[in-house]
Amino acid sequence: METSFAITGKGYVIVASDTTAARSIVKMKTDEDKIKVVSPHLLMSYSGEPGDTLQFAEYVERNLRLFHIRNNYSLRPSAAASWIRRSLAQSLRSRKPYSVNLMLGGFDVTADTPHLYWIDYLGTMTEVPFGAHGYGSYFALSLLDRYHDPEATLEEGLVTLKRCIDEVAKRLVVSPGKYKIKVVDKDGAREIEM
Amino acid sequence: MNSIANRFSTTGPISELRKAQFHVEDDEFADSVWGSEAGFGSLAKGVPNFTVPSVSDPSAFLRLHTDDFADPNCRIKIQHGTTTLAFRFQGGVIVAVDSRATAGSYVASGTVKKVIEINPYLLGTMAGGAADCQYWETYLGIHCRLHELRNRERISVSAASKYLSNLVYSYKGMGLSMGTMICGWDKTGPAVFYVDSDGTRLKGDMFSVGSGSTFAYGVLDQGYRWDLTDEEAQELGRRSIYAAGHRDAFSGNTCNLYHVKEDGWKFIGNYDISKLHYDGPGETPGAGYGYGVRIERNSAAAAATSITVQA
Amino acid sequence: MSRRYDSRTTIFSPEGRLYQIEYAMEAISHAGTVLGVLAKDGVVLAAEKKVTGKLLDLSGAKEGGYGGSGEKIFLLNSNVIGGVAGLTADANSLINYARSAAQQHLLQYNEDIPVELLAQRLCDMKQGYTQYGGLRPFGVSLLYAGYDQHYQFQLYHSDPSGNYSGWKATCIGANNGTAQSLLKQEYKDDIEVKAAISLVLKTMSKTMDSTTLGSEKLEFAVITLDPETKLPKAKIYKPDEIDELLQAEGLAKKEDDNAMKS
Repeated sequence: METSFAITGKGYVIVASDTTAARSIVKMKTDEDKIKVVSPHLLMSYSGEPGDTLQFAEYVERNLRLFHIRNNYSLRPSAAASWIRRSLAQSLRSRKPYSVNLMLGGFDVTADTPHLYWIDYLGTMTEVPFGAHGYGSYFALSLLDRYHDPEATLEEGLVTLKRCIDEVAKRLVVSPGKYKIKVVDKDGAREIEM
Repeated sequence: MNSIANRFSTTGPISELRKAQFHVEDDEFADSVWGSEAGFGSLAKGVPNFTVPSVSDPSAFLRLHTDDFADPNCRIKIQHGTTTLAFRFQGGVIVAVDSRATAGSYVASGTVKKVIEINPYLLGTMAGGAADCQYWETYLGIHCRLHELRNRERISVSAASKYLSNLVYSYKGMGLSMGTMICGWDKTGPAVFYVDSDGTRLKGDMFSVGSGSTFAYGVLDQGYRWDLTDEEAQELGRRSIYAAGHRDAFSGNTCNLYHVKEDGWKFIGNYDISKLHYDGPGETPGAGYGYGVRIERNSAAAAATSITVQA
Repeated sequence: MSRRYDSRTTIFSPEGRLYQIEYAMEAISHAGTVLGVLAKDGVVLAAEKKVTGKLLDLSGAKEGGYGGSGEKIFLLNSNVIGGVAGLTADANSLINYARSAAQQHLLQYNEDIPVELLAQRLCDMKQGYTQYGGLRPFGVSLLYAGYDQHYQFQLYHSDPSGNYSGWKATCIGANNGTAQSLLKQEYKDDIEVKAAISLVLKTMSKTMDSTTLGSEKLEFAVITLDPETKLPKAKIYKPDEIDELLQAEGLAKKEDDNAMKS
């Protein structure tokens, strides 16, 4: 089952997502990247209705790129999050809404602060220190309530993330296999191997 | 704003200006801006239009007349059972499919062509609605050809599959049913993309689609290696379709096998699945893929060795 | 010869000019002066009022919400003030548009509109009126003084053709040439708001026709950062605040001037 986590720390956000693409009971693919780098300091993990997910992510990616081309700077994470939320909320009242859940992690270079937004397909948005989507969230949220530290270094953050991944692997019946992990900080976004 | 100016203006250019002003409120673009039109937007209008039934809710209408599970007497029956597979390996792409078409519990045909030859370098497979696959993959062929003419080079497998996935995505929720693999060879080498009517598009080394796909995966996954020889790969594709045809009631009859190489696809052959069970792909009775046949062969071989040992 | 091309905004003259645009700019160079100076920690804006007279009811300006008399200096958004030179009626329409555009941005992105983006939005509209037939361009130049997180304090100028540019100090309206050469001499790169206020008032007093400065001829505004919230704070001065300021700068008219008038 699709699962994604994200946690903030001192000057960074880590976003992790499983890499399976499933259709009914079959895993069609086990190395699908479901985290997009939508602008230089912004990561977005997406899950939900097959088809909608990638279409919406590409729509976001291209609109943020267009903003960058027009203005020579990127939207700040809070502005991008508001725009994305609004897009989802507008889509919800359309004939064919996008059913996509998102975790949006970004680094605001104008204020030197990391930000994380939890957004669901209904257009609910909230800024959080950590968050999760999917069945994994039932295990990870309590774990993070206990272990998350907003002042943690990147190494400590990755250890906490590992706890989440291990817990879900241990307890969830249909646990996803591999995860993709990306981090964003003042230097931009990059992938991390664990 | 500027309502006076607007009141005096009913001509075309004014409405243009008004549109320019509304840019403030909205950043929407025509579909053609997103699609790869290669600068020929005026010739091909973005995502093509397809006439839908003139009823208020086309998908509900379609469901009413095609749901043979709820109503066995429904007028239109959609082909559901199938096994198709495709995989990439060192020597290109192997595409193998069965040939059975079922309508409910009735075998409507045993000689269906489930591999659609889009052009000499591209193959598409058919699972789900036969008409949907046939129509849209042929349509895809038209656009691949247009791409060739406009850009003086063949379309990549990636671009072709993206075209198809954007196309079916625009009909999402309206009753299209397709699960297809777009296979071919382009500048990047052999490529396989899975595209379905949900709008999912996945790049991968190996896919299997249809009611028999689980059975096919069982054989395929165990026998697969990247450095398979051409003969081994063809044998693996054939065996996998046989396995699905044998175990899945909605798949069977015959297996069609294709091999895509650098110079395009080649049809390898059509194999009767019953014959594969007993005789295998050749004309040797007893060399079949079937479990019983294999065990008998093994025990015969064991007996033969024990005889030789004795002797 | 050229008269054939005068009345159409959308038609080039044989020399490649758009007369209506040039006339609009000409109109502006007779309008009340508006002057802006960008400082390290803020932006200062001042404007010369043209519509005066002791029968004019200015009670709104004296007690009203944001200050200013509503002729030349306006609050466009919480982080941008605009100063206009040209046709006041055209300006009102543009200001309305700017305020809507700023709100639209707030609605979409949940942040104050960046200053340059706001200038761009207005210029897109102004440009439209130089191209589509049957319309007259806006006879207005604007100065935008504002703050955003991307480029901090900024000062922009836009003209009727839809061109815009960023400035350290600039001036539009009557005598803008004189004012600009004065600013060029006096401007220092690391100027602070306090010095910028003096510079603006000094330059204004030299460029304006009247010999003495007073709140009935002057509008004044400053945008700075609130030291506590670190958010931009726009202040448009009320008439008595302007007089107080002039007094402090030693530029106010003498008491007997007042006596003579009344």
